[in-house]
Amino acid sequence: MILGLLLLHLAVCGLLAASGRRLGRRGLLVGAVPPAVTAIWSATRLGTSAPQTAEVTWVKGLDLGLTFRVDAFGDVMTLIVSGIGALVFVYAHGYFSPEAAGTGRFATTLLAFSTAMLGLVWSDSVWSLFIFWELTSVTSFLLIGHKSAEGTALAAARRTLMITGGGGLVLLAGLLLVARAADTTLISQMLPAHGASAVAGAVLVMVGAATKSAQTPFHVWLPGAMVAPTPVSAYLHSATMVKAGVVLVAVLGPALGHLATWQTLGLAFGIASLLWGAGGALRHRDAKLILAWGTVSQLGMLITLFSAGTPKATLAALALLVAHALFKGALFLVVGEVDVRAGTRNVDELGGLARSMPGAFWTAVLAGLSMAGAPPLLGFVAKEAAIEAALALNGPERWAIGAGVIAGSVLTVAYTVRLLVKLFGPGPRTEPARRRTATAAPAALLAAAGVAGYAALGPLLGVLKSAAGRLAGGAEMPTLYRWPGLTAALGISLAVLAAGLLVGLLVTRRQVRVPAPRGARWSDQCLEATLAFAKAVTGRVQHGSLPVYLVTMTAAAALATIPFLGSVGVGHLFAWDTPLQAILAATVVGAALGAAAVGTRLGAGLALGAAGITISAIFVIAGAPDLVLTQLLVETVIVVGFVLAFGRLSRRFPPVGLRWRSVRLGVAGVGGAAVVVGLLAASHNPAGAPPIAEMVSGSVGEGGGKNVVNVILTDMRALDTLGEVVVLAVVAVGILALARAPADSGSPAP
Amino acid sequence: MIAARSAIIRLGIGAVSPFAVVVGCYLLFAGHNNPGGGFAAGLVFGAVFALRTIAGLHRPAHGIAWVAVGALLVAAVSVLPLLWRDVLLDQYVLAAELPLLGAVKAGTSLIFDLGVAAIVIGVVLAVLDGLGATELATDQTPPARRSVPE
Repeated sequence: MILGLLLLHLAVCGLLAASGRRLGRRGLLVGAVPPAVTAIWSATRLGTSAPQTAEVTWVKGLDLGLTFRVDAFGDVMTLIVSGIGALVFVYAHGYFSPEAAGTGRFATTLLAFSTAMLGLVWSDSVWSLFIFWELTSVTSFLLIGHKSAEGTALAAARRTLMITGGGGLVLLAGLLLVARAADTTLISQMLPAHGASAVAGAVLVMVGAATKSAQTPFHVWLPGAMVAPTPVSAYLHSATMVKAGVVLVAVLGPALGHLATWQTLGLAFGIASLLWGAGGALRHRDAKLILAWGTVSQLGMLITLFSAGTPKATLAALALLVAHALFKGALFLVVGEVDVRAGTRNVDELGGLARSMPGAFWTAVLAGLSMAGAPPLLGFVAKEAAIEAALALNGPERWAIGAGVIAGSVLTVAYTVRLLVKLFGPGPRTEPARRRTATAAPAALLAAAGVAGYAALGPLLGVLKSAAGRLAGGAEMPTLYRWPGLTAALGISLAVLAAGLLVGLLVTRRQVRVPAPRGARWSDQCLEATLAFAKAVTGRVQHGSLPVYLVTMTAAAALATIPFLGSVGVGHLFAWDTPLQAILAATVVGAALGAAAVGTRLGAGLALGAAGITISAIFVIAGAPDLVLTQLLVETVIVVGFVLAFGRLSRRFPPVGLRWRSVRLGVAGVGGAAVVVGLLAASHNPAGAPPIAEMVSGSVGEGGGKNVVNVILTDMRALDTLGEVVVLAVVAVGILALARAPADSGSPAP
Repeated sequence: MIAARSAIIRLGIGAVSPFAVVVGCYLLFAGHNNPGGGFAAGLVFGAVFALRTIAGLHRPAHGIAWVAVGALLVAAVSVLPLLWRDVLLDQYVLAAELPLLGAVKAGTSLIFDLGVAAIVIGVVLAVLDGLGATELATDQTPPARRSVPE
């Protein structure tokens, strides 16, 4: 079933890619089918405890392959990813105008993201997890850059890819270390890991998770990503993709949760984002940016609770995870509808929409109250549980988490109040355009789900408990309350609501200055500085002088033989097999010296040819006809090449200064000595008897040929030959590229 | 340039090249049991192209196409065995009794050799093209001598 669903996604993806242009906006409705099917499947599975697995093996010995496992937690995540996915597809059908360009491409990419995200939450092996992780980064990049004509969209897309993609690489390193420490690549089978590599891996994994889940200071990409069409912001950048880091922290909790480093780092990221994000949400005027900063804050809360790791905190985090996906998705969809119908998202230019857009108003109020944590909504249950979990901790964590959660909640209430009042309360009146059913219905459904979750808390609790049990290692689970009674947590909760309302109304009155996107600018500057540095290094290293390249290569190759100096021996050497070899060797030496000494290019070419052909004579004596043939042919082609090249060059070599000549002499001498050292060392230390006999018998038997040399080339060592011809092909491409490059460009091509 | 100066070279190369092609083909097929093989055959064909270019009988072009065809052949022979759950680069030998030729034995390594030969030809053509052989060979006036700085 798992593989079937993934294949269904891929098939529809292919269909959309092939016929997206013809389908246009209707492609979005086609794209809604696979998520809808998946959502129904996961809904039927809710509450069943048996995990479902699937496996595609690639290389068995290396544990390489795709391993999927859908357990109770996976079901919850699947329902969020696919359920909201299907709604967002329907919403996007109303969001885009029928004439909008590129909706087919948009539908394809959005479905590709949906597939990658499903793969991510279903992955059990660290390899598949990493692959799908990076795939979500790439599809997110494409979706943010959807309006590719806008410079800001491209800059934001690039920033996102750099931060989340780079974080993915950090994650890969971390996962490798963790897998090594836990001695398995399957996440579901990891036991608490210990040792230095577990600690290092935990740090890297947490940093990777923080980049994806927009934790301070890596959050700078998320506000910029709001240039994407609103369906993307609702789906990727609030409900699903940014949850990937949270999911990772959650599923690795059993393996790493006991490490103090993991917990401290997670709490530091979480609490910092919780407060910094909420502060940002209070200051912006763009409704989407307010929601984006709010997402940073909520994600911080989730990371905090999952890092705390107690059963209570885990259950609270799960409830918040579900509630956040519902209310934040609904709010984004409402803001998108306002954007489409009123033509702006700036809250200072909007107002009085309560009367002109009643549907959107009630949806936003329900979702907003859930975000603020007011009863009778799912957000209230989650917030209540979070405060309860913080109070139940001991030691300094109790104070840190408790203060963070309470302060963050006050600010959350404040920015919710500000957003709702500014949008729907008194202010400049805007006349919205006609209502589109497709945009209103999904938002209303999501907001209503928040109420339904509160009303039907019993069944929901069962699902969340089994999911949390999987994450907290089967510990005894607490319970969630619709109405907890008169507890300290309820008192705090009500105080938070009152304080938040007060702060929110005060802030709404005041005009705040919108902060400059300093973090985004810094990250862009870092990237540009890196590129400039790379360009400078390239300019220094790739200077374009052929003789200097040659000298550098020879010197480097000579240095590589230094380790072999110790194993040089001369005891096994003998003068010759036949005296003829001595004569031929002397001829080669003479020709080589002549090539170096002669002043004309033609003379040097002829001397080199003489050396080459004499070497082929040495091969004749050694009884190697294949080598002779190849050597002669190569010499022939080289001579023809010289003839052609001489047409372009002066007859004599250009004069050389004394210093440069001595450098070249020195490097040539060292290079020659290095070859001698290498040969002496290799022949003095044979690694066993040469495998001639096996080769010969294998050649006739297996290879079906009598010419051993060729059977080695095309059969026994065919992989080497394959590599060599690939090198040849690359050389051919390189030569043509060099020859056709504009001759006047002084700097290397970018 | 040489073509313009020397009719002997032009005619000689024109006359010899068909024989050289035959020799190349022989090397290609003989390689399995006797000296020869794809690399040597490719060099012979490459030398034919190079000599004909010097004589102004041929313009080197499509080097990349040769390389691409060769790479495709080599890659196909290498990867196809995997589809039948064999090892990468495993080879099959066919033996048949053909009219006129008698007993003939050929393996998939022959296709591999063909690919290697095509790549070598492509490299030679690319080098000739890169050296600007066409202008040199067809230019009636010798090009201006210029010294190349270090």
